Amino acid sequence: MPIRILPPEVAVKIAAGEVIERPASVAKELIENAIDAGAQEIHVEIAQGGRRLVKVSDDGCGIPADEVELAFARHATSKLQSVEDLYRVRTLGFRGEALASIAAVSRLTLTTRAADEKVGTLIRLEGGEIIHREPLGRPPGTMVLVENLFFNTPVRLKFLRSDTTEAGHVARLLSSYALAFPEKRFTLQNGSRLVLRTTGTGALYDAIVAIYGVDVAEQMFPIPRPEEDQPVKVWGYIGAPSLHRSNRLEIIFFVNRRWVQDNALSYAITEAYRTLIPQGRYPVAILNIELPPEQVDVNIHPTKREVRFRQKNLVFVSVQKAVRSTLMAKHSVPAVQVPRSPLAGWRPPARSTPSQAHMALELYRPGELPRLGDSQERLSTPPQTERLPMLRVLGQLAQTYIIAEGPGGMYLIDQHAAHERIRYEELKAQRERAEVASQELLEPLPIELSPRQATLLEAHLEDLALYGFEIIPFGGSTFLVKRVPAQLVGQAIAAAIMELLDAAIDGGKDFSWEEQTLITLACHTAIRAGQTLSLEEMRTLIQQLEKTSLPHTCPHGRPTMIHLSQAQLEKEFGRR
Amino acid sequence: MKVSCLQENLARGLSIVGRAVATRSTLPVLANILLSTDAGRLKLSATNLEIGINCWIGAQVEQEGAVTVPARLLTEFVNSLPAERIDMELLPRTQTLNLKCSRFEANIRGIDAQEFPPIIIPEEDSRANIPAEVLRRMIDQVVFAAATDESRPVLTGVLAEVSAESLTFAAADGYRLSVSSASLENGPETPLSLIIPARALQELRRISAEAEGAVQMLVAQSRNQVFFHFDDIDLISQLVEGTFPNYKQIIPTSYNTRTVLDTGEFLKAMRMAFIFARDSSNIVRLQITPNGGGGRLVISASSAEYGDNVSELDAVVEGQPIEIAFNARYLIDALNVIDTEQVALETRDPSSPGVIRPVDGTDFVHVVMPMHISR
Repeated sequence: MPIRILPPEVAVKIAAGEVIERPASVAKELIENAIDAGAQEIHVEIAQGGRRLVKVSDDGCGIPADEVELAFARHATSKLQSVEDLYRVRTLGFRGEALASIAAVSRLTLTTRAADEKVGTLIRLEGGEIIHREPLGRPPGTMVLVENLFFNTPVRLKFLRSDTTEAGHVARLLSSYALAFPEKRFTLQNGSRLVLRTTGTGALYDAIVAIYGVDVAEQMFPIPRPEEDQPVKVWGYIGAPSLHRSNRLEIIFFVNRRWVQDNALSYAITEAYRTLIPQGRYPVAILNIELPPEQVDVNIHPTKREVRFRQKNLVFVSVQKAVRSTLMAKHSVPAVQVPRSPLAGWRPPARSTPSQAHMALELYRPGELPRLGDSQERLSTPPQTERLPMLRVLGQLAQTYIIAEGPGGMYLIDQHAAHERIRYEELKAQRERAEVASQELLEPLPIELSPRQATLLEAHLEDLALYGFEIIPFGGSTFLVKRVPAQLVGQAIAAAIMELLDAAIDGGKDFSWEEQTLITLACHTAIRAGQTLSLEEMRTLIQQLEKTSLPHTCPHGRPTMIHLSQAQLEKEFGRR
Repeated sequence: MKVSCLQENLARGLSIVGRAVATRSTLPVLANILLSTDAGRLKLSATNLEIGINCWIGAQVEQEGAVTVPARLLTEFVNSLPAERIDMELLPRTQTLNLKCSRFEANIRGIDAQEFPPIIIPEEDSRANIPAEVLRRMIDQVVFAAATDESRPVLTGVLAEVSAESLTFAAADGYRLSVSSASLENGPETPLSLIIPARALQELRRISAEAEGAVQMLVAQSRNQVFFHFDDIDLISQLVEGTFPNYKQIIPTSYNTRTVLDTGEFLKAMRMAFIFARDSSNIVRLQITPNGGGGRLVISASSAEYGDNVSELDAVVEGQPIEIAFNARYLIDALNVIDTEQVALETRDPSSPGVIRPVDGTDFVHVVMPMHISR
């Protein structure tokens, strides 16, 4: 096949594909334009997750009438004049690709009026072609209406997720910009529902209150903006160690007010919180990183979500220092430094067997280093298919593990994991009998969610109703809980709902509401580690565990018990 | 310090203040009881910084002084002594308390009394006198409804509203509300409301079990404390900060069905139903049918695994027939504290709160939210 230069309409679509991935990318480009235009008020409206409609209006400087067409030409921008400018980019956009790319894959209407002109312009494009243009009266500013996104690229359309997921991405995007620009007023409307509104007071704290609610805001520690001249300035808010999430989504960075993703920075923060928050949980942080524009290269990624620092280490250290010193000052108990043992750095081979490995360490005689290769054969989780043997409870260890004797030697049972399994199967059986007991609340309990959580919850209210939750929207991202599953009575309801939503966000497409709701309920109603149990309670627990269909693992997949055989004991004590 | 007292008096005093001793505290002195001479008597004090208890016992004071000694050790030792005279003497240099009783002797090492946080009797803002018997009844009728989880701290307390003529206690845990009132003589001029930790009231209930006269209640709102005094005992408690939900608007003002039952029979039937209900979230179903002037209540509970139970009670039903479900535990808790022969259950529909009131009796209202079983 001969090599040919691509026709322009094909080239444009390919380029557009890099910048515009989903409705949220449209919103992103348009919001950045609005911000670069000096807008004070930015209003975003979406319908059907942005698939049908994304509308961004602002009160910025507008586009002069004679430049309107030019704005849709590729590589047309008012933000950059020369190559030198590219090394000190101060605006959010600069490539001149956004409008052209969006126009190429949608039906787009733009109305605008420059502040110093009397008449504005309306222009309509379809698949990048101008089909209509007329003068129009309107206040200064710009409105871009993007309809039927990807109507001419069916493949891209197929890759879009559900409306809820797409709306969630837009909500997260808006939240981030609102945090980066607290002096601007942002509103986001999804269909007829107002999802987010910030006040634009200029105080980051107010933006945090608007987005996360007062409960979260009150648990945030400020990192003030350093006064003196520093090469890298780090400031913002970080969550108290008591505030943690199951994912990294609430670790948000702005580099020179640009929202970026950077795994190294995220890691720097998570590290700063080490030992302060439980393992597998992540802190909440909203950080501004300010450095001279020539120190950052933003022209790395088509959507500018990644940046490159000229002095990566300096940035990393500055962030970690700022976070750690704030935590230290606020958190009176210093974090314990665990002395390095000869085995530090060694990790158990697979995620599913951590308890075995730790156990192995305990069993060695003092002074003798464990031979790591042996640990696998020394201890084993009992084979999965086998029913539980008859167990005789001997006692409790560290208020967490039940020690039991069976015909095959000694068993250690994790009380929480075991009870979780029991609760899970009970709840599942109830569900199969289609019998769900729920309890009404005396007074509706208000819960405040992040816009992303709220969008998700709103879409799944009916799924939750099947399990006995009755939750109704109460404006913005506040919801009222009116009824809860009977098992949750006496438990922290808001925490359980948050956990469920976070799990749903993490789970993505493969997520099963049915299963996760059961797991969350099981986890919240199971006895905890650290709870003293009487011998009778432990016996009952084991009896109940025996009746379950999968007694060897908890619903999260961790083992409920580990086994130390008679033969192993004899070998350890040198009897054989 | 040199003091003598009777073993039974000391043992009783120690058991009273013992409940305020901190069990898990980083401050070692809080695990101790303060013994001090006070105007010819021996004063025992303990505090966990949330509540504090003072108790005075009759004693012969030869020499004034004070010391703190480990609560558990002292209490267990004194409890095992014969009912005779105990002579105590403090060796100030080593802060060691020497105890002699009959032919038994012990030396207990203590901590300097200076280190014990002072339990200050608040300067009174407002005062009320409540007959001990009334106070006990009121505490019993509300404390069980206070929340045990800490997610909403105000709900772990009991709201007390005091005015010139009345005292009202209210407690709620998010699923039920209990309100108990009594009339007062000479209450404070300006009405006030405060939230007392449920635990403090439970302790007050326990240590005032035998009190017969009036219990004096002093409120020091500036210091955020409440203080109770009766006989030879003081109890002081921190108040819970925050705003208690407006409980009055939670109490329904109308009903469609009013069912009057024999309290004892209802309670007995509920206890029976509970045995079957406890495996299925304590859920019991009540089926109420009017019949001319009378009517009946059918209580049913079932466990998918173990079986089911149905009880039928005679009742005086006024209004519509209704089927409604409740948590058996909640109904038992409420019925347990009703001292009248008959009780009324007022309901509107299966999703509206049920109201339990004694018939012709004390001023008590209990609101309990219904449950649902979906199929």
